[in-house]
Amino acid sequence: MADVAVPEGLWDTQKVPEGIVANWFCRDGGTVEAGATVAELMVEKTTYEIAAPAAGRLHILVPKDGVVRPGTILGRIEEA
Amino acid sequence: MPSNRILTMSRAISEAIAQEMRGDPNVFVMGEDIAKYGGIFGATADLLDEFGEERVRDTPISETAFIGAGVGAAMSGMRPIVELMFVDFFGVCMDAIYNMAAKNNYFSGGNCTVPMVIMTATGGGYSDAGQHSQTLHATFAHLPGLKVVAPSNAYDAKGLMISAIRDNSPVFFMFHKGLQGLAWMASPEAAVTEVPDDAYAVPFGKAKVVRQGKDVTIVTISMMVHRAVEAAEALAKEGIEAEVIDLRTLVPLDRETVFNSVAKTGRLLVVDEDYKSFGLTAEIIASVVENDASVLKAKPRRIAFPDIPIPYSRPMEQFALPNAEKIATAVHEMLGKGSKKAA
Amino acid sequence: MTPSKDQLLWMYGTMAKARYYEDTMAAVYMEGKTPKFDIGAGTVPGEMHLAAGQEPCAAGVCIHLKPEDTVTATHRPHHIAIAKGVDLKKMTAEIFGKETGLGGGRGGHMHLFDPKVNFGCSGIIAEGTGPAVGAGLAAQMRKTGAVAVSYFGEGAANQGAFHEALNLAALWKLPVIFVIEDNAWAISVPKDKATAVADNSVRAAGYNMPGVHIADNDTLKIFEVAGAAVERARAGGGPTLIEIATYRYYGHFQGDPEVYRPKDEVASLKAKDPIERLRKQMIDGGQVSKAEADAALAAAKAEVDGAIAFARESAYPAPEEALQHVFAA
Repeated sequence: MADVAVPEGLWDTQKVPEGIVANWFCRDGGTVEAGATVAELMVEKTTYEIAAPAAGRLHILVPKDGVVRPGTILGRIEEA
Repeated sequence: MPSNRILTMSRAISEAIAQEMRGDPNVFVMGEDIAKYGGIFGATADLLDEFGEERVRDTPISETAFIGAGVGAAMSGMRPIVELMFVDFFGVCMDAIYNMAAKNNYFSGGNCTVPMVIMTATGGGYSDAGQHSQTLHATFAHLPGLKVVAPSNAYDAKGLMISAIRDNSPVFFMFHKGLQGLAWMASPEAAVTEVPDDAYAVPFGKAKVVRQGKDVTIVTISMMVHRAVEAAEALAKEGIEAEVIDLRTLVPLDRETVFNSVAKTGRLLVVDEDYKSFGLTAEIIASVVENDASVLKAKPRRIAFPDIPIPYSRPMEQFALPNAEKIATAVHEMLGKGSKKAA
Repeated sequence: MTPSKDQLLWMYGTMAKARYYEDTMAAVYMEGKTPKFDIGAGTVPGEMHLAAGQEPCAAGVCIHLKPEDTVTATHRPHHIAIAKGVDLKKMTAEIFGKETGLGGGRGGHMHLFDPKVNFGCSGIIAEGTGPAVGAGLAAQMRKTGAVAVSYFGEGAANQGAFHEALNLAALWKLPVIFVIEDNAWAISVPKDKATAVADNSVRAAGYNMPGVHIADNDTLKIFEVAGAAVERARAGGGPTLIEIATYRYYGHFQGDPEVYRPKDEVASLKAKDPIERLRKQMIDGGQVSKAEADAALAAAKAEVDGAIAFARESAYPAPEEALQHVFAA
């Protein structure tokens, strides 16, 4: 299983402690390609794209509008 | 192989544009904040990185000039996509749209085409007040020479944008802000859909029956499709089956699908976020009545924004907007199941 | 830059053609409108805006243009269309509303489009500036070396579209030449009652482009200035603004009682007619003989007569044709 994680240090948590998952671009249980944009985070006014680290089946752990911080694991990919 | 990939409507639009730009060097995009910013409503996200400043151009705040330039570039053989940031801004550049883009093909007897897309953000419901919340479907559908398109979801948005870019006539592409799937504006779940990877086209002039039903026909477009579906789901719990038709394009308008549906249900309700008088709701009802009034078992009804400037304060704006509750109430009344007072 | 003999003859012949066209059109326009002037009646109904007196603005600029170069013009387009090489028979048929017209009769005199020479015109003041900028943009993006020329009047220089177009053309360094035909009158309002500056060429500085004012309808001066501007544009040097003080012999529109105009103004303008001036200059200068000039004039008139005859003989479109060509194929 590969982790879909919010990169450490992606934003300055002193200024903005949390962000949210703005959108998932694959349904729970659907298949993703490695490198494809699989989710979008919103941290205050900035959006960040999260790429799938591997190809396989996506299991969503943090749904849309869920809260995230750097290091949060949003989901897991069950590699083929 | 079915795609598992779901996209927001804004990404579907920018993907459509990117795919057409890859295939045809004549396609380019210009508008305010469409380059690095990716469009205020995300319609041109990531295009600058792939295609560069020549083909993805930020313009000064000069709608008359850059929409007029779009006309000229299109007449010279390019296929410009020009963004009018908010449809409400049409006042400063309407001449280029309705007197030039829309008419030059006609004036020239078909010799000079204007293959441009003007895309623009519509809609309210988030307290942006009277000059930034309008929908204006009728304003553009009414004037001859423009094709007018308004998707309700990501799948349709990509296919309609591809059709728009490939069309040799000027196309006015109206995307509702609240359907774009932007992180900073609430958006219905159902607007985010599976979107195939390939460059597919959704034809103009073909409405979609989003939900089948035998009791009432609800005709609508854009954001109101989602309100209608919400109402239909609530009504279904009471055993009332509403048929919901998403028009998808206003020009050309698929009246046949509406006629067939009303012939089946006998009841017509039209819902539009645009102002009520002299608009889409009147057009659909008039068309149905002209075609065959005898199929109607109840008076046709319509729910639209009242003829008032859009108020700022939330309770007032929400009072004025069509919503699922108003739709369900109207259906009840049409079926004789409730208050006879007009909405 | 001095014109060659061929260029002199071309300019003279073109201006003579345009003058004869406008004078002929003035008479044709009145067919069916006497004794009572009913604007909708007669051979050529609707509005008519004639450019007699403004010919140097057309000839002196268009001589430097090729068919691939784009020209956008206004409600007073005939002289420019002629100089650009628009098909004269089809243009005249269009003005007469016949099916053989450039637009099959759908556009008429203010909406003439000839894609073969990239000419178009529009009836909304200053609105041709945007499309000219767009044609310049297309030329730049495709690296064709083509230029665009936008013609409009001194009244149009106060419209927002003008200012936006100049800024955009300069910002993107587009190959566009903006030509103001200052005929002193915006319908009935003289320039000094409408424009904050006496000379529009000074506005160019506000948009970081060169601006030139040409006095007194001087064909040879126009030839020189326009030549430099076109060359500059083709070489990637960006846009230029040219204002030409020219003459409008007729009223704003045919039927205009011209109550606003001093009684002897037109007569005094005609006394220094630019076509006669050029003719005299080129014959006296020995570049062209009287016989050659006369031959050019005769050829010009014959072409106009032929175009008028073609228009008269052509059929009107079938009424249902009105429904065609709303959208492209």
